[in-house]
Amino acid sequence: MLNEPTKRTMTLNLTEAEMRALETLAVQKDLSKTAVIRQALRLYQLVDSRLSKGEKLFFEDEAKREKAELMVMI
Amino acid sequence: MSSRRTCRLRSAERDDLVDADLVDELSKDDLVRAHLDWAPVRLEALKRLRAANLPWPEHWHWDWSQKAGMLDLLAYRCMGIEHGGRMQGLMMLSTVAVKGRLAQHLGKPALYVEFLETAPWNLRALTGTPQFLGVGVRLLEAAVVFSQQEGFSGRLGLHSLPQSEGFYRRYMTDLGLDPKHSQRLRYFEMDAQQVRYFLEGGKS
Repeated sequence: MLNEPTKRTMTLNLTEAEMRALETLAVQKDLSKTAVIRQALRLYQLVDSRLSKGEKLFFEDEAKREKAELMVMI
Repeated sequence: MSSRRTCRLRSAERDDLVDADLVDELSKDDLVRAHLDWAPVRLEALKRLRAANLPWPEHWHWDWSQKAGMLDLLAYRCMGIEHGGRMQGLMMLSTVAVKGRLAQHLGKPALYVEFLETAPWNLRALTGTPQFLGVGVRLLEAAVVFSQQEGFSGRLGLHSLPQSEGFYRRYMTDLGLDPKHSQRLRYFEMDAQQVRYFLEGGKS
């Protein structure tokens, strides 16, 4: 087996609604809550990196032929 | 922080298994070093292929030093297999999950293999007589293990260049041409049985 990297622990303070959203995502994606948070962090850093290079992020609905830029606060 | 574990490759010259190191997290410097080691060998091989009027591998232009910048982001991770002080194969993974496409995986996260390449001296298409065999399989195995550690239950997907389709078809399920892929490559995904094959050490 590959060795697990050293990990650090922190306490995360979430509202009831945030915790419900996290738990729902964890169930839907079949992931632990920690794994969901890790995915979110990786995605946030990736999106932030590309936006900072001047790229844009879009959502597209092929059926409705709609395309909207996602404005991200960074 | 990278770690190493032993994996086994087949030495074509000795017709025997040899121990190699699977390095699970390579640095940018590791990729640059591998590129500097591989590039001249690849160039000489390409010259020979051109002189013999033989086709080049489709990924002949890959440059791992150019891919090193991806490692600035948590979204990517690179693994490699080292033997004799040289990198025998490299694999770049996307750690941001993709959606599984097999019916049994719909809506579930899967690990995505961005690039997988064996060293030019191990590539039959370049040398005719590879030094070490099994590099690609050991890297796929490492990807499955990593997918499991990430909580993706070993689910794994990738797009294959046409010349590599035969290799991936041996270990993964071919889901056909992906019309949304920029190069319209075929998409492959490992089903649960294929995942078990790797996790159980190829015994099932």
